[in-house]
Amino acid sequence: MATDSYAIELRNITKTFGKVVANKGIHLKLRKGEILSLLGENGSGKTTLMNMLSGIYKPDEGQIIVDGQEVSIQSPEDAKRLGIGMVHQHFKLVDVFSAADNILMGDENAGMLLRRNRYEKIEQIAKRFGFEIDPKKKVCNMSVSEKQTIEIIKVLYYGAKTIILDEPTAVLTVQEIAKLFRILRKMKEQGHSIIIITHKLNEVMDISDRVMIMRKGEYIDTVLAGETNEQQLTELMVGRKVSLDIARPVVEHTKPLLEIRDLTIRNDEGAVAIDKINFYIRGGEILGVAGIAGCGQKELCEAIAGLRPIESGMMIHKGDNIVGLSPQAIIEKGIAMSFIPEDRLGMGLAPSLSITDNMLLKRYQKTGKPHSPFVDRKAGRQFAQQVIDELQVVTPSTETPVRLLSGGNVQKVLLGREIATGPNVIVTAYPVRGLDVNSSYAIYDILNKQKQDGVGILFVGEDLDVMMALCDKIMVICHGRLMGVVHAHKVTKEELGLMMTGAMDISELNGKTAGIAKDSNIQEGGEENA
Amino acid sequence: MHKRNAAFRIVKRSEYSVQRMILYYIIAILLAFGIGGILLAALKVDVIRFYKEMLTIGMLDNAYPYRSVEGLIKVFVPLVLVSLALSLAYRMKFWNVGGEGQFIVGALGAAWVAMLFGERLSTPVMLLLMILAGGLFAGLFGVFTAVLKVRFGTNETLLTLMCNYIALYVLKYFGETKTGWNLFLSKDSARPKFEKIPQNAFMPTIQMGRFSLNISLLLAIVFTVFMIFYLNKSKQGYEISVVGDSVNTAKYAGMKVGRIIIRTVFLSAMVIGVAGACHVSTSHTLSTSITNNVGWTGVIVAWLAKLNPIGILVTSFLISVLQYGTSVANANFTAVDANFANLLQGIILFIILAVDFLLKFKIVRTGKTNNNKEVA
Repeated sequence: MATDSYAIELRNITKTFGKVVANKGIHLKLRKGEILSLLGENGSGKTTLMNMLSGIYKPDEGQIIVDGQEVSIQSPEDAKRLGIGMVHQHFKLVDVFSAADNILMGDENAGMLLRRNRYEKIEQIAKRFGFEIDPKKKVCNMSVSEKQTIEIIKVLYYGAKTIILDEPTAVLTVQEIAKLFRILRKMKEQGHSIIIITHKLNEVMDISDRVMIMRKGEYIDTVLAGETNEQQLTELMVGRKVSLDIARPVVEHTKPLLEIRDLTIRNDEGAVAIDKINFYIRGGEILGVAGIAGCGQKELCEAIAGLRPIESGMMIHKGDNIVGLSPQAIIEKGIAMSFIPEDRLGMGLAPSLSITDNMLLKRYQKTGKPHSPFVDRKAGRQFAQQVIDELQVVTPSTETPVRLLSGGNVQKVLLGREIATGPNVIVTAYPVRGLDVNSSYAIYDILNKQKQDGVGILFVGEDLDVMMALCDKIMVICHGRLMGVVHAHKVTKEELGLMMTGAMDISELNGKTAGIAKDSNIQEGGEENA
Repeated sequence: MHKRNAAFRIVKRSEYSVQRMILYYIIAILLAFGIGGILLAALKVDVIRFYKEMLTIGMLDNAYPYRSVEGLIKVFVPLVLVSLALSLAYRMKFWNVGGEGQFIVGALGAAWVAMLFGERLSTPVMLLLMILAGGLFAGLFGVFTAVLKVRFGTNETLLTLMCNYIALYVLKYFGETKTGWNLFLSKDSARPKFEKIPQNAFMPTIQMGRFSLNISLLLAIVFTVFMIFYLNKSKQGYEISVVGDSVNTAKYAGMKVGRIIIRTVFLSAMVIGVAGACHVSTSHTLSTSITNNVGWTGVIVAWLAKLNPIGILVTSFLISVLQYGTSVANANFTAVDANFANLLQGIILFIILAVDFLLKFKIVRTGKTNNNKEVA
């Protein structure tokens, strides 16, 4: 029945986790030598489905057919033998090993000893597909893009004919994505079949031959990339019509609220993370911060919130110096910071505590009777209920521990609390990290509403398309240095990409230093009017 | 290529059920008694009679049954105080395993005050001073590890553990060195021997018929109630929960994390010291085995009770019955060595802890289509 033209066929795959149905009767056909995109929102079951192909999970029901033969994949070793390799979202590499050693580590046929010719082997593969890699370089000295390259070479080394990539572009710059796509096309030419998991529509349109859409664990449709458009794909993915336009309301700007001059910050290792940068935020504008992951964004946010000492420079809020103030004092000045780290829960929320307790985090000392030794939980509950109602947080009750909420709801709780304190400056890093289309737009709306109320917003983001649509201005940093501040509606994605990699520096343009306001509160000569 | 497939694997349970917990604990206790029974039978002891005597803490067929209750209280009070104090630090993920040392320092402090002032003070003033001294000394002894952790990031588990030995050998030194200034030792005895504390430093009792109720029991109950409010209602308790959950979040919220850690550890060690002071006052003398391992047992009680104050009260009571009951029963059976009580306790605790593991995880056979992780 199955013809040989399919590399992989999944029939009626069902997988449940306890009461949750992650995949329900999924069909998938992957042709030989094609690139198939797997499109769906968070929690739609894409990764679960692929994990069944790579031997991490086993299906409850259904058949897996590889090259026309029905197979049972019990473990990643089985998948390897069948020529299926998966590049996971989180890399599985040993930091202190070289690229080649990381790749060869799992090779049981390579013998007990490290051979001298191991680097050549890897170079051969790299040459064949057009990878740029130094096999002797240690992983700890590599960029995210290089690490991903090792993971892909690793899969190819073990003879995979079918390669699955789980959100490979999430961590890459525009230029790196283009490079990756060139390699994927080359792999396709050489007869490899590729499945790429993503929820970025423009990439789907760019790279894939066919697109398979999933929603809430169910198979929705498979369409040819050439015969569809982003609007149609979104509707299939979300299940209803959605406007993909992010609003950028025009708001009258105020004088600079927060001004940063010559700010230098060191990271935990003592290296310079932020190098003499200048920028300012006005009320009623969103200033985007673009940069490759780990370019000092975290250190910058922490410094503004008073969590990290600065090396040198000025941070002036409404004319007052905030350098050296305690986090508590900075909160009281109306500067709210919310940072969503990779694990989403690390900073800003106490995961095991209830929504109520998390709402009280910054104000437990002030709520209720002054100097009372007791926490006013009644006020906390009201506060929690208010945020739940306003931002439509889905939760059984105000007493539910935050870690049991879904990602979108966790982020709404965090942002809702920050906004409810009535701040005049919001520093928000990755507020839509890992969120699906619906929740992301809800967050953009919240930010825009704050902007219209005259709040100045610093938006540290990942997705350039979003930043170009949402922000008024974008500042680009590369290795902690300011590359320039540009108007979001005038800049192109390529220009941003060049600035992010340091290839374009417009921080000194026409004798003007970027990031210094004409109507600054800081008087020249370095002394602020205290 | 060979396949390495284990026949079983461990899976985390998604839901937590109280019914299952109670059922499993009952099974665990029965299992432990079963194993203990086999050992007893091997010693040719009447198993039923031994257990009966143990579980009734020797009150049956006894002319002075109230003595047994008094004895039980002497074991129970220190255990409940120490467990509560330890749970305070554990809620903040500060792994204080220095209960033994802090208990000894508290006892030494209290005994020192008692010896120093002798018969000059009235009992209430004397007791108050002893409790203050015991609490203060132990608090400082414990907070020293917290300060090092806050300032230099040292490992509190290692430091509190080592402090136990420092305290123990200081106590032994006082117990073995006869000099003029060592007021802990008996003046009349030629050999070094701990002197009894003066009579006005004895823990008073409330006479109820022939039964005398030790005041320290009331202290333990009052303190449990205090802990419930402190942990669940107070701002300080709230700070402890946040620091325990995420230090980064606490800092972000503007909390002074170092100060919270130091304050809480001081409180934890202080309460353990108070327990030590009460114990000296109740047992009327120091001894090198004064702790009766309460610093270790307290760790187990705190964990079994999931750091919940009511749970600690109940668990402490059950463990006290076990401890005191075995020692009583074992006195009436010559075939049973004193160490057997410890052995039986060890078996019971071990099985309960093993069951605790089964409450959190389940073991499934591989090959069965079951989940092992959450939805990625």
